[in-house]
This record gives sequence, structure tokens and C-alpha cells, in this order.
Amino acid sequence: MKIYSYAIIDSNSKISDSINGLEGVGVYNIYYRDIGIVVSELSEQIQDITQEHILKHEEVVEKLMESFTVLPVSFLTLFKKKDDVLLMMREYYSDFRENLDRLRNKIEFGIRIIWSGETIRNRIIDTYKKSSANISITDTSPEKSFIKEKFEKYKLDKEFEEEANKVITLIDDFFSRFAAEKKLERLKSDNLLLSAFYLVEKERQGDFKEAFERTKRTPGDLKFLLSGPWPPYNFIVLTKNADMFNRKPINQDLAGKNTL
Amino acid sequence: MTINRIVETDSPEAFIEEIEKIQGALPKRIDANPKNVEKGLAKLVLTLIELIRKLMEKQAMRRIESGSLSDEEIERIGETLMRLENKMQELKEIFGLEDEELNLNLGPLGDLM
Repeated sequence: MKIYSYAIIDSNSKISDSINGLEGVGVYNIYYRDIGIVVSELSEQIQDITQEHILKHEEVVEKLMESFTVLPVSFLTLFKKKDDVLLMMREYYSDFRENLDRLRNKIEFGIRIIWSGETIRNRIIDTYKKSSANISITDTSPEKSFIKEKFEKYKLDKEFEEEANKVITLIDDFFSRFAAEKKLERLKSDNLLLSAFYLVEKERQGDFKEAFERTKRTPGDLKFLLSGPWPPYNFIVLTKNADMFNRKPINQDLAGKNTL
Repeated sequence: MTINRIVETDSPEAFIEEIEKIQGALPKRIDANPKNVEKGLAKLVLTLIELIRKLMEKQAMRRIESGSLSDEEIERIGETLMRLENKMQELKEIFGLEDEELNLNLGPLGDLM
């Protein structure tokens, strides 16, 4: 028998709702001081991880999110016995407490933006060809030809990143007005201009969604995706390293695929 | 409070394609099972060499851009970088590795390159 964990919550009371976790077993709260960790008992080790398992884990976290501030724990975080759970809670208590306070009444939204990397690159190449400000490297030897090619690519990449940063700054400045914290990932691929995560006060989620609608209607070639509200997966900050918070749910990364 | 999760986009296919592309390119762990431990280690070592090579190349490009290198120096750097790139190409072929495999996922820190 193992103890399977779902989330840290800001409560040391019993879970009043009946929530079933993995293997259909009811979850319960193991409390430590004024916080708790929601767990269920698992009769055997999970051999093959299925999408059903992952979705069940997330379903429990989302149900808890309806009533509590949650720090979602990574999928497949297991403990051998209750004493091990309490030991972990004691070690991380101050971190958990600080995060629960900071994340109270806040939710996470994800925004992804695609642009046409190829179009932007072609436009930069056209401008570069017309520009007289190029540094000229004479290609009189294979070594110089090699460097010339590398330098042209370097200039192209640099211009591309600068162009991306301009667009990202414009968009992010707007969304930041409605968010308490943010995390930006730029140019994960040539086309994926921005993957951004915004921590938003629950009462401002309507404003945030409205901001997305307005941005989406901006004329241009950008494609937008909004997902959420999510538990604050990207905003848990621990002073000690803990693997149990390091993995985001697969569902969030592939939000478009699973939930559209 | 009930959570009303939304996923909203006018271009679902484009997002699925891009997200799958970046996820597929990066294995989460070095594959070090006994059958191909050599390849797993080569991948780790070559990834680090590739990182250093890219840093050297970028530094050289910055110096060229600033105009601080003479013609002879540019030629010498060109020779060094060209040899390094050719050698990397040979090693990748020997171990059957592709360019996109030379990266590491560093968990919460993101990707190495």
C-alpha cells in the first residue's frame, strides 16, 4: 500500500466533498500545522501510465482548486507511509506556507502566439540585401566564404530575435496590466513566437479574457491561443529543490490537443 | 466556485503542430540502457561540445560585427570554426545522431540550447 499525493492545500480540515482519486479510491487530507496534503491510497505500483491516470490526477487537483488554494504535486509522487509524508511536510512547511499565501485567490492562464517565422525571415533577408550597411567580408578563400555565410546567418537570427522581442513586448505589456506575475518563453520554435503564463487574481479573470478577445481581433497574421484557468503550475517557487513540483501536466502542454 | 476551463483559438491545428514539434524534438532523458549506452554517452558529450562550439561561433560573430578583427584574423577564425564543424559532423555520423538530438531538457530551467 502506497500513499499517492495530489496537492498541498491551505487547510488542515477534512475534505468535505467526496472526491475519488486513482483506482476510484476517495482522497483525504493529511494535515500538518495549518496546511495539508491531499492523498489517496494506492494498492499497487502503476505499471503503465495511461492518459486516464493523468486526467484523473488533474481532475482531483481541479476539484480541490474549487475550494482551496492549491500547490499541485507532480503526477506519480508516492510515499511509503504517513510518517514519510509528515517528514516532507515538516521540511518544506515554510516554503509551502509562503507559496499558499502568495497564490491565494490567483489562477494561471496560458497564452501562446504563433507567427509566420518564414515570412519574417524572408522580409529580413530582403531588407538586408538592399541595405548598404552590411559588413563586407571578401570571400577569397574557403575559410572566408565559410565565415561570410555564418555571419549572414548570425545577422539574420539577430534581426529575427529583435523583431520577435518587439512584438512580444507590445503584447506582454498589455496582458501584464491584468496579471500579478508572469513567465515568458520566447521563440520555442521559429513559429511559436511566445508561450506565456500569467498569474491572475480570480476576480480579474473576466478582464483578462476580455483582454485576450481584444488582442485576438488585432489585424495581422498572428494566431492566438488562450487556455485556463489552471492551478498555478508555473508559479510555485521553492527555496529547496523538490522534484514533486517540477513536472507540469502533459495536458497543459498539449491543451489544444486534448480539450478543443 | 466551479472552474470553467477554456481553450480558445481560431487555429487549433497550427498550435497542435507547433507544440508537438517542440515536444518531439527533445527527449526528456538521456537514453542510457545497456544496449546503446555508448550512443547515450556520445550524445551527452557531443551536446556539451556543440554548446561550446556555438558559444565560440557567436563570440566570433560579435567580434566581426564590431569590426575589431583584421582580415587575417577572420581567416584564421574561419579555419578553426570550419574544422570544428566538420569534426562534429563526422562524430555525429559515427554515432548516428541528428542535429536536433543534441540538446538536453533541464527540467524547470528549460532546454540547454
